[in-house]
Amino acid sequence: MTEARRFRSGLLSSLNPLGFNVERWSYTLHRATGVIIVGYLMAHIFETLQLSSGPAAWANTMAALHSLGPLEMVGLWIVAGSALYHGANGIRLILNEMFGKLMGKPILPVYPYSPTSLGRNQRIAVWTITAVVLTLWVWAGFYLLAGLGVV
Amino acid sequence: MEKLTLKVTRTGGKKVSYELKYRKGMTVLDALTEVRERQDSTLGYRHSCRMGICGSCGMTIEGLPKLACQTQVSSLKTDTVSIEPLHNMSVVKDLVVDIMPFLDHHRSVRPFLMRRDIGERDHSDREYRVLAEEVAKFLQFDYCIMCGLCYAACPTAALDPLYTGPQAITQAYRYLADPRDEGWDQRVDLLDTSQGVWRCHMAGACSFVCPKDVDPAKAIQMARMEILKKRLLRKKGRTGSRLVPPAPQVVATEGTKPPPFDFSQASPESK
Repeated sequence: MTEARRFRSGLLSSLNPLGFNVERWSYTLHRATGVIIVGYLMAHIFETLQLSSGPAAWANTMAALHSLGPLEMVGLWIVAGSALYHGANGIRLILNEMFGKLMGKPILPVYPYSPTSLGRNQRIAVWTITAVVLTLWVWAGFYLLAGLGVV
Repeated sequence: MEKLTLKVTRTGGKKVSYELKYRKGMTVLDALTEVRERQDSTLGYRHSCRMGICGSCGMTIEGLPKLACQTQVSSLKTDTVSIEPLHNMSVVKDLVVDIMPFLDHHRSVRPFLMRRDIGERDHSDREYRVLAEEVAKFLQFDYCIMCGLCYAACPTAALDPLYTGPQAITQAYRYLADPRDEGWDQRVDLLDTSQGVWRCHMAGACSFVCPKDVDPAKAIQMARMEILKKRLLRKKGRTGSRLVPPAPQVVATEGTKPPPFDFSQASPESK
């Protein structure tokens, strides 16, 4: 298998959480939201960089952004959701990876198996994060769409 | 369910369907064996013990890495079962994958007891006792059958073939937690690399698919703790081990039998 083919099949397999545990879905969402945040950061740097070309260039950039209409706010809403999820899930990952929290202790496996690292505590953390992020995201949606006069 | 259809991905990616009669209690391995014996003798797959011990029959069943011998067809809730080779490994033939890179990662973490005294290692004549609470710290990770399911499920290994992988890191941690091992420093250095424990992003898929509940995700995070202890707390080697010292060496001369060892003399409680 060539390197390119291996990478392509690896990327597809890496992004596909179907059938797996909730933490694996969380992993995929964390990656996706990370990419969105980096994309936004690049666009934001480009946007503010226009200031160095003078007020006219800045006004043109802002006009181009506003010409997107509701899409601008929808885009910001997606970025807000991404930042919320990435940040909240990041705290869970720091607890997991840097402090070994929510993982449980080594046990003697007894059938039917149930890994403690994906146990009750971990699931509660994942679903709590999802609930909090969804609530804040809906609130952010109202806030942003209110600016458009939609709500 | 009367009839069962197996959709097997064969070498080159071609999907071939086989129809057979379903029997109660049939496993995916039983079904594959029936196909090979009665329909297509060229079908390639690997298996040995048929009872979830050897770890040879790992394959992707209905999108998830599983042991074919432990997967009941009835548990899949479908009469068309999709079977593919394990992901993250190159295909040798049909469902047989090349596990050498996986085994190379396993070897790279030196999965054996390391002792400072080489002579003792090569001419061991003493028995080391381990306390029950010390065994409990690594026994779970000792149940690994090296089936490769965790490696196939790992989204990081999918993108980075140089990543040490969940199985190898778990085995490294198994020895890090073993009080008999004296290779703590060396092993921590082996894991503390960009392709070692820090490459894991805690998707937990490895623990989810492990057929023996070895829980590699937990072992990886615990290995991280050991590394942080060394780097941040400047821990040097394993401290506070309650290892029961080995029996004093008894040199047996020809014609004499060494006296039986009195274990009560060697227990830390007796000191």
